[in-house]
Amino acid sequence: MNSRERVLRLFKGEEVDRVPCFSGMGNVTESGINKLGYKFAGIHLDAKQMADTAASTYKMFGFECGVVPVDLCVEAEALGCVINVYPHAEGILYPTIKEKLIHNEDEMEVKIPADLATRGRVPLLREAIKLLKADIGNEVAIGSYVLGPFTLAGQIMELNDLLKLSFKKADKVAKLLDVMADAIIVVAKEFEKAGTDYITVREMGATTDVLSPRVFKSLILPPLKKVISEIKIHSVLHICGKTNDIVTSMVEAGPTAISVEQKNDVAETRKKLGKDALIFGNYDPYNVLVSGDENLVRSTMRKCIDDGVSAVWPGCDIWPTVPPQNMMAMIDEIKKHGGKK
Amino acid sequence: MADEAKKKEILEKLKNAVIQYDEDACKEGAQEALDAGLDANEAIFDGLVAGMEEVGRLFEAQEYFVPEILMCADALYAGLDILKPHCQQMDLGVKGSVVIGTVEGDVHDIGKNLVKMMFDVAGFTVYDLGRDVPLDQFVEEQLRRDSELVCLSAMMTTSMVGMPKVIEKIKAKNPDCMIMIGGAPTSKELADKWGADGYAEDASNALKEAIKMVSFLKKLRDEKAGKK
Repeated sequence: MNSRERVLRLFKGEEVDRVPCFSGMGNVTESGINKLGYKFAGIHLDAKQMADTAASTYKMFGFECGVVPVDLCVEAEALGCVINVYPHAEGILYPTIKEKLIHNEDEMEVKIPADLATRGRVPLLREAIKLLKADIGNEVAIGSYVLGPFTLAGQIMELNDLLKLSFKKADKVAKLLDVMADAIIVVAKEFEKAGTDYITVREMGATTDVLSPRVFKSLILPPLKKVISEIKIHSVLHICGKTNDIVTSMVEAGPTAISVEQKNDVAETRKKLGKDALIFGNYDPYNVLVSGDENLVRSTMRKCIDDGVSAVWPGCDIWPTVPPQNMMAMIDEIKKHGGKK
Repeated sequence: MADEAKKKEILEKLKNAVIQYDEDACKEGAQEALDAGLDANEAIFDGLVAGMEEVGRLFEAQEYFVPEILMCADALYAGLDILKPHCQQMDLGVKGSVVIGTVEGDVHDIGKNLVKMMFDVAGFTVYDLGRDVPLDQFVEEQLRRDSELVCLSAMMTTSMVGMPKVIEKIKAKNPDCMIMIGGAPTSKELADKWGADGYAEDASNALKEAIKMVSFLKKLRDEKAGKK
C-alpha cells in the first residue's frame, strides 16, 4: 500500500495498514526550499516553485502528501485585498493582507466579482496543483485548502469589528458569511477541477477560545455547512483551539474528516464521536516538531496514535525551519507505532 | 467632596457599565463622577477597573467570550477618555512608559490592544507601534523613548520567530529594559529561552496578566491611601 492508497482508503473509510502521516495545511520546509535554491517569498508567486517546494517535503522526508497553497491569502486577494509577501525579508514571513476590502460597517454588503475564478492567484494555484499532481500524484494524495467563511471575513475586514458585530449585528455578519461561503466555493471548485484529492477548510478564526459554542452553532456553522456540501471530493474541517465542546458541530458540518490541534483532548473526542469518525491531529507543529528534540517528537507521535487519531497530522502549518531529523523521527515513529491498534 | 452614598452609586454605575458593555452609561458615569467631585483615579480604579476585573472572571467562567470583552473594552475607553485628563499623576513608585506592537508578519492585534488598554488605565505612557511592525523599529523606538518596558505580540507561530532577534538587540543595548512577549504560540519556555521577562499566551491571558498587574497597582494605591 503506497502513501496515496493509504490516505485515499482512509478517506473512504476502508482498512489501512497503519495511520498515515500527512497534512492538509502548509508543510513546506526550509530544507526543501534551500535544496531547490528558491526563496520563501518567491514560492507564493510562481506555480512551479510552489509545486516543487510542496513536493519536496514528500521527496525528502516521506511526508505522505503534497499540499498547495502555502499561504492564507489566496481567497482574500482574489476578492480584491492587497497582499504583502515581504519580498525583502531575510527570514521567513508568511504573506499578510495589507489593504482590507471592507473598512467599516457600511461597506459590508460586498459582491463577489463575476470573474473570481480567474482573479489573483487562483489560476496560479490551479497550475501548481496540476504540476504537483504530475510530479508526485501517483505516490501521494494531493491536498489543497481554503479558508472558512468567518476566517476569510476576518481577513477582508478588521477582525476586531467582525467579532463585535457578530454579537451586536449577527444578521449583518451572517449575510457577509454567506457571501464568503459562495466565494470560497468558487475557489474550491477550481482546486477540484485542477485535480486535488482533498480540500481542508480552515476555519481558524472561529475557535471556542474566541467565540462561544452558541455563536458557533448559530453563526459559523450554517455557512460552513454550505461550503462543505459543495465540495464533492474529500473534505477536512480544521478548527484551532480548545475544540472539545464543538466537535459534534464540526461533524455536523459534514466533512469527511475533522482536524483538531493540540489543545483538543483527542481521547475524549474519540470517545464522543465513536470509532468510525475520522479524526486528524493533533501535535504541536512548533513546540514539538521545531523546538522539541527527537524524543519529544517520538513520544508525541505515540500519544497521538494512542489517543486514537485516524491520521497523525499537525495542529497548524508546519513551520519551515523544522529540523530534518525531527521530520525523519516523526515519520519513522508513525511507521513503527502506527499499525498497532 | 461627594458624599459616600453618591460616590458608591457612581462607582457602581461605572463598574456595571463596563460589565454590560454600555458605552453611553460609562460616559455618563464618568461625567457624573467629575461633576460630583470624585477623584478621577478613584473612578478609574474602583469603577472601570473593578468592572474589567469582573469581566475577566466572566471570561474565565466562559460566560463571556472575545466579542464581549472587546465591547467591554470600548465601554472602558469611553469612560477613560473623559476621566483621564483629570487624573493626578499617581505616585506609586511605579511609573513608566512602554513600547508595544505586533511583530512583522502578523496583522492580529486584539491581544496587544487589550494589554495596551490596561497600560493606559495604569497611567503608563504608551507608544503603540501598531501591527506588522518591522523588528528594528522596536529596537529604535525603545532607544528613542528609553521605555522601561517593551511588549511584543504575535498570534501566529509564523511571525513569532522574529521575537528573539528583537529581544537580543534590545537587551544588548539596554539590559534593564523589561520585555514581555505575548500571543497564542508563545510559552514560558520560549520566554525563558529567548530571555524575555514575561509572557502571556493569548488575548485572554494577556487580559488576565494585565488585570493582575493593574490590580496590583490598585492594591498599592489602596495601601498608600490606608497609610495616609
